[in-house]
Amino acid sequence: MFVEQVREHHAGLRGFVRSLGVDPLWVDDVAQEAFIVAYNRLSEFDHERDFGAWLRGIARNLVINERRKNARRKRILSDNLTDVLLSTTSVPEEEEEELGDRGLAKMNALRECIKGLPEKSLGMLKARYEEDHSAQDIAEKFEMNPPAVRKALERVRTSLRKCMDERLQLSGA
Amino acid sequence: MNTHKPIETVLEALLNGDEPGDLNALAAAASDDPKLAAKVREELEFSEMLRQAVHNDAPIASNDLLLRVGQAPQTEAELFDLACDGNHSSYDLNRVARYLEDNPDRLADLRVRMMEDEWLRQAVSASKSEESFIEALETRMWAETTQDHFVEDFSVRLEEEIAAQDPEETGILDFPGAWSKAALELTAVAAAVAITAFMVVVFATGSNEEEGAVLAQMSKVSSDALWSADSPLTDGSSFRSGTYELETGLVSLRFPNGNEMTVQGPAIFELESDHSAVVHSGLAVARAEAKDMGFTLRSKGLSISEPGKMIGIDARSSLSTEALVFDGDAGVCLDDSGKCREIYQFEAVRADNNSDQLLDVPYNPRAFEKAWALVAGVENNLGDVSIEMPGTEIQPTKGISGRVQVYVEKESFEPEQDLEVDQISVGKFADAVVNPGQALQAGGKLTSYLLQLWPEGKVTDNGEEVEASLTFDQPVVGVIFSSERLASSDAAVGTSISHIGVEEISGRGLDSGNDWILLSEDRRTVNLRLKGGKAQLDQVRVLVASQ
Repeated sequence: MFVEQVREHHAGLRGFVRSLGVDPLWVDDVAQEAFIVAYNRLSEFDHERDFGAWLRGIARNLVINERRKNARRKRILSDNLTDVLLSTTSVPEEEEEELGDRGLAKMNALRECIKGLPEKSLGMLKARYEEDHSAQDIAEKFEMNPPAVRKALERVRTSLRKCMDERLQLSGA
Repeated sequence: MNTHKPIETVLEALLNGDEPGDLNALAAAASDDPKLAAKVREELEFSEMLRQAVHNDAPIASNDLLLRVGQAPQTEAELFDLACDGNHSSYDLNRVARYLEDNPDRLADLRVRMMEDEWLRQAVSASKSEESFIEALETRMWAETTQDHFVEDFSVRLEEEIAAQDPEETGILDFPGAWSKAALELTAVAAAVAITAFMVVVFATGSNEEEGAVLAQMSKVSSDALWSADSPLTDGSSFRSGTYELETGLVSLRFPNGNEMTVQGPAIFELESDHSAVVHSGLAVARAEAKDMGFTLRSKGLSISEPGKMIGIDARSSLSTEALVFDGDAGVCLDDSGKCREIYQFEAVRADNNSDQLLDVPYNPRAFEKAWALVAGVENNLGDVSIEMPGTEIQPTKGISGRVQVYVEKESFEPEQDLEVDQISVGKFADAVVNPGQALQAGGKLTSYLLQLWPEGKVTDNGEEVEASLTFDQPVVGVIFSSERLASSDAAVGTSISHIGVEEISGRGLDSGNDWILLSEDRRTVNLRLKGGKAQLDQVRVLVASQ
């Protein structure tokens, strides 16, 4: 069923879309559009191919199209930045598959890792990624200075990345 | 100074309103040269003063440049933070792009960083959850494709998942011994909702506007409702003005003026008065009884008010807010801009956070299904039962195979004359057969529900019976299951939605002799065991006492 494909690939696809410089506010919109295009073109899908890679190809084309829109309707942060980021997605294909591949497994591992975060780290993470506060706002909330917040968030990300990789390796083993 | 000549040309062009050329180069040069930065700042400030003296708009590019000159990030980490942080300008991003052009080996790192940022959002934010994403996609599919296979896919999947839940957790009424529990599936609402004491409401005296006065009482709550620890519920059921956080489940509040609000968690809402509330996040449905005041729901970006019927607001996304009208008309306003317009029954609008427009979107109330079941007063269902949302057309010739669909036909109405209903003995599982009927005297308020089984598919293919049980939040005062009485009561208690094709159905009631019906002794639960023949539509009209 198509919904199974959505469940399997949405996390990876959304991450891939974001990595092309799409505005975080529009990431889901672009990813959904990619799914709708895929749905409408299912008959064209070569079942020998990886569905996730096919989706990412569709999303990549959607992002390329964003550059042609007028500024008010663009869903990307910057033409220049997206141009540079897109340049890495055309070759090699292996790299493209890697960025967004196994999205569901990675997301599940990440969620588990977040559960183990200390309270303050979790608070900062939620302030940044759930409430969308800037480092400046978080600094005020936690009575820290902005560089310290950025540093702390970087440490949290690094520890989560390590934890996620370890969990994936374990599950793979 | 010669080295700055091209830069000064750019600055001169900028100040003169000519095509300035490479602003990035000017900004980069100014960030490296404090004297040039000071000069740029002074010139732009003076230029701005001159401009304001004769004009009102602000030159965005100049201000942007001015703000950034002299404080541009220098390290890679700062640049990457800029690309991921929400607080950046086009100049910032151009600096990032230039850095990456110069350092292509760092591109992959930034992409991974951005992707991880997105994943972290998905992991910690409810509005970015898988469920929210699929639901939003479902709505777009529904609106943008001519086919709806995906929607059906999704529904089937949802029901399968819910059916997999442990039925012991639901606390639902036991069936008579003949019923096979293994054959029953749990619906979404049944899994979540149980009725608490209903309408036993004692309101505090004094004005509702007074600080500390009780504004509303909890009238219904689902069994999985969980409040955050700091929600100011004093005795567990009284609501005063303030902010409440419902972590899970559903709750209905009833105000002394008759207004009702149902909230579906996770939600944060703020009660302002007996006719207004702010839904900071989550879903809410409001039904207004106070004709003079109506009810106003506000959320990020918009407010919706209505004079007398039912509205909903979906504030689960951090990106946008949707408002729907289930019944009646409503006024919708964008916050701040003062832009307002009317929307009508079965219409919806969306306000995007980064836009100053109200967008028409398809009316798709699926997200409100759980809340609607609580509002509709049909809960604790067993079997394949769906409570159809307002606006769903009753289609006797094209139903969902093997499922009992429940339509709320007409709410809180007073029949003008006595109604003829079918005879039914409480507490006995009996054949639904031709019977002399009985009169239901006019006078009391009723709500009418139409239960429908469309038998094509699994019932006729393999002869399976369809079993279902529905528990209402008020006593059942009459049941109509014979074809003639269904037809004769249509005008008085039937829905205003047309019964497309019903005239082509010969026997729409339980006339086959194979159908069984039971009304529980407390008159709250209707149990059905239906076995339709080919093209044998089964309909039952249930009349329930209304407040």
